[in-house]
Amino acid sequence: MRGINMLSRVFSVIAKALNATGTLVVLALVVMINSDVVSRNLFNAPFPGTYEMVQFLMVMIVFLQLPDVIRINRLTRSDGALAVLAMDRPRAARVIARIIDSASCIFMGLIAFAIWPELQRSWGSGAFFGTPGIFTAPYWPIHLAILVSSTLSSAIFATKAITGKRRPEHLHLEESGA
Amino acid sequence: MSPFEIGLISVVAMVVMIYLGVYIPIALGMVSFVTIWILRDSFQLPLALLKIAVGDSVTQYSFATIPLFTFMGLIVSKAGMGEDVYRVMNTVFYRITGGVGMATVGANALFAAVTGSSIASASVFTKVAVPEMMKLNYNKRFAVGVVAGSSVLGMIIPPSAMLIIYAIVAEQSVGHMFLAGIIPGIMLSGAYILAIWVMARLWPRFVVNEGAVNKAPEDLMSAAQLLMLSLPLVGLVITVLGGIYTGWLTPVEAGAAGAALGLVLAIARGKINLKSFWNALLETGHITAAILFLITAASMYSRMLGIAGVPNALGDFLETYQLGFAAVMVMLVLLMLFLGTLLDTASIILIVVPLFLPIVEPLGVNLVWFGIIVVIGAEIGLLTPPLGISCFVIKSTISDPTISLKDVFMGALPFAAVMLCVLLVLIEFPILSTVLLP
Amino acid sequence: AGRMATVIDGYPERSMWLVELSNFFLPEVNRRLEEAGLEVFDFQESYGGSIVNPRGVLEGLRLGLGDMGIVTTIFHASELPSQAIAAVTPFISSNAAIVARAIDEIANEFPDMREEFASENQVYLATGVVLDSYQMFSTRPINTLADMADLRVAGAGYNLRYLEGLDGAVGVRGGLTDFYNMVQTGVTEAAMLWPEAANTFAIAEVAPHMLRANLGSVNTKSLTVNADFWATLSPEVQAVLQEVAIDYRDRMAEVAMEQASVSEAAFVEAGGTITDLSDADRASWAAAMPNIAQEWAQGLDDAGKNGSAMLDAYINKLIAAGETPARNWSTEA
Ligand code: NA
Ligand code: NA
Repeated sequence: MRGINMLSRVFSVIAKALNATGTLVVLALVVMINSDVVSRNLFNAPFPGTYEMVQFLMVMIVFLQLPDVIRINRLTRSDGALAVLAMDRPRAARVIARIIDSASCIFMGLIAFAIWPELQRSWGSGAFFGTPGIFTAPYWPIHLAILVSSTLSSAIFATKAITGKRRPEHLHLEESGA
Repeated sequence: MSPFEIGLISVVAMVVMIYLGVYIPIALGMVSFVTIWILRDSFQLPLALLKIAVGDSVTQYSFATIPLFTFMGLIVSKAGMGEDVYRVMNTVFYRITGGVGMATVGANALFAAVTGSSIASASVFTKVAVPEMMKLNYNKRFAVGVVAGSSVLGMIIPPSAMLIIYAIVAEQSVGHMFLAGIIPGIMLSGAYILAIWVMARLWPRFVVNEGAVNKAPEDLMSAAQLLMLSLPLVGLVITVLGGIYTGWLTPVEAGAAGAALGLVLAIARGKINLKSFWNALLETGHITAAILFLITAASMYSRMLGIAGVPNALGDFLETYQLGFAAVMVMLVLLMLFLGTLLDTASIILIVVPLFLPIVEPLGVNLVWFGIIVVIGAEIGLLTPPLGISCFVIKSTISDPTISLKDVFMGALPFAAVMLCVLLVLIEFPILSTVLLP
Repeated sequence: AGRMATVIDGYPERSMWLVELSNFFLPEVNRRLEEAGLEVFDFQESYGGSIVNPRGVLEGLRLGLGDMGIVTTIFHASELPSQAIAAVTPFISSNAAIVARAIDEIANEFPDMREEFASENQVYLATGVVLDSYQMFSTRPINTLADMADLRVAGAGYNLRYLEGLDGAVGVRGGLTDFYNMVQTGVTEAAMLWPEAANTFAIAEVAPHMLRANLGSVNTKSLTVNADFWATLSPEVQAVLQEVAIDYRDRMAEVAMEQASVSEAAFVEAGGTITDLSDADRASWAAAMPNIAQEWAQGLDDAGKNGSAMLDAYINKLIAAGETPARNWSTEA
């Protein structure tokens, strides 16, 4: 159990670091788009590649933040029924919560498994998106971000399933930005 | 079993799993994965689909509207703009019975034009409007109900994350969805105000307690003050919606401009420091990741439905039994109300749209209008028990222990009913949603 | 009954190339198979994003989500660089049929195009040219090259590079579906697209002046088959698919040319005016551009492929078919 807790702390630190990076990317997105608008309208000089950069940054935001979203239990779910069950049958609720986290661990693992050959391909071939001579960006960082993110997410779900720490009776209100 | 039956079973399995508390994107992705595996008898195929879904669902330009408008809403809330609007509205409505309620609705409607979130509205107005109404001897259920009911305006009046999500899954223009949301949003606000007026006449005890005095609030403002407080908000609305309407800005650019302007306002009013700025960015990232991961999983689900041929089969079913457009809409509204008991708005939209879009599209309906119907229908669920997110936010924000969750739900019920009525009107008269479209 | 084959594309089924695929290619394949006493196909058609979106067709066919389909090649400058051959050689041909035939001959004479698809686990059947020529649609009349100074123009991909030599003209990136809005609202004053698309998106309402600059016809589609699926087919069946694919290609080019003239008439009907750019101006525009064809060819040559040879052969094929290049991209040093 101590080993798991140690691992869990390591995963947390990595998730927080990725999350901070992703947060800076949000800022970069705001700055970049505004600069493009200003440059286009005032100087008749739109930035080439803003469109592609936006696509690229979006992937970074989503996948750098995802493990942290999972870590702090803010992945979208509707745990009303689980909360009700936890009041009468806390042990049963705990078991269900662990099964759910295990299944989630498998699913995130599947994403990592699926994306791994894609990373090998894009790394090997130097595949890019965009138009040569205007703006291009390589694909591999996208695949790498997805691989790292889904692997870490899977690991975080695994520690949740093993330690069973998460309390199902706790409700998360701001999930999905409703 | 036919593919259609397998597909239908998997939809039901998914809903059951979600009700049991499985993370919604995991439920959507997992069930779709297994269903395709069974249907095509190949493990490689669902794996390939997963690859594509994860790889290309997030690399879309219009997705950038989600973090940008989320950030703008968070910054604007931190800048205290919600409180300002409320004071402005109170000065307008204070003479009327139920006036504070009307002011809350009006303030929410205005605030909604700069924030895309019902959570933000619910928490801001719980803090400012509920204590004031309690002080003025309003019925506590009414006080919280009006805040809950009007909080949904945040997601109907543009900008709105839900309109963006629909635009993405239905491949409609985000700008068109925003324009289409304006009149329905104003209509719903008007309907709320009218409902409060009627309730104050016919069932005054629901609105105010016995012996209520309609004192003037202390912080009434002069015209100059009104103007000063309204200007920043109006400036933001003009930048964002004006930018989109005139086409000077794409919705993505309008979001970025709004975010930057909101930040400038917050700094100018000394309402933000480095820590709260960082927190707003962080929160933005979390919300963006949660929504886009959900959209990714939903794209897996809609492809599963396509492979199983569920929408086609449903369409054939409707044709065979001569069920027309009206029957489809009844089915849609009932399904959304049912899902709304437990699911959040984004999940409802993502489950319902892939099922119904292929059915309604051949009927020649306007898909922007359809989006407004889906978004409003899905938002009724914010107010209905057992899981109504707006009501939960209010309960968790409120400091008064005598107000129970049940009180919030009971207070919100009349407003949910008004929403349903407005929804039916919007279904009957599509022009209300489409008239502003270019 | 018959052998099941999934046909995919991300575009809606009403798209011209899918209408032709559905109503001509697929039934014609089955008709000829039946005639030859071979097993017919049971085609399962999935269009409009039900399995993949337009950008996802290449990947979908590689991974076996579909057995055959129509790849929109302009999305894949990285994976399918050779397919840009027509896009980097503007101002030569505005005849879809000629371009389509030349592209397919290049595909047969050089290994590059087929190899690029082979490394995406696909077998190339034929090209699809669905547009006659890119033209310039603007809010104000443009009669000469000089009128284009400081013009902001909406475009995408290699089109944007056509503007590079023009004094002060700038390209703004956008999708076909954004052009109407971009022009209407003054983000740009013009857009580069072809008449049929201009008609579909009602461009005449916002940009009623078409400059017939004949920037050129471009191949944007390829009909391909998943390689694993292909390997399970008998040589006779493979031959039938290949033959019908050629007929499909020529039919599509014919339809593209028909639609172009119908669309130009509709554009004028809707209040638009069409002005021809003088040959001299067209030549100076071409001359002002950087030689993107040689940039492209050099890039392929450097990767050990036949860039320069393909470029040379392609332009000569167009000339042999009766076209006169406003600029011969391959012969200059
Ligand atoms: Na809003
Ligand atoms: Na609910």
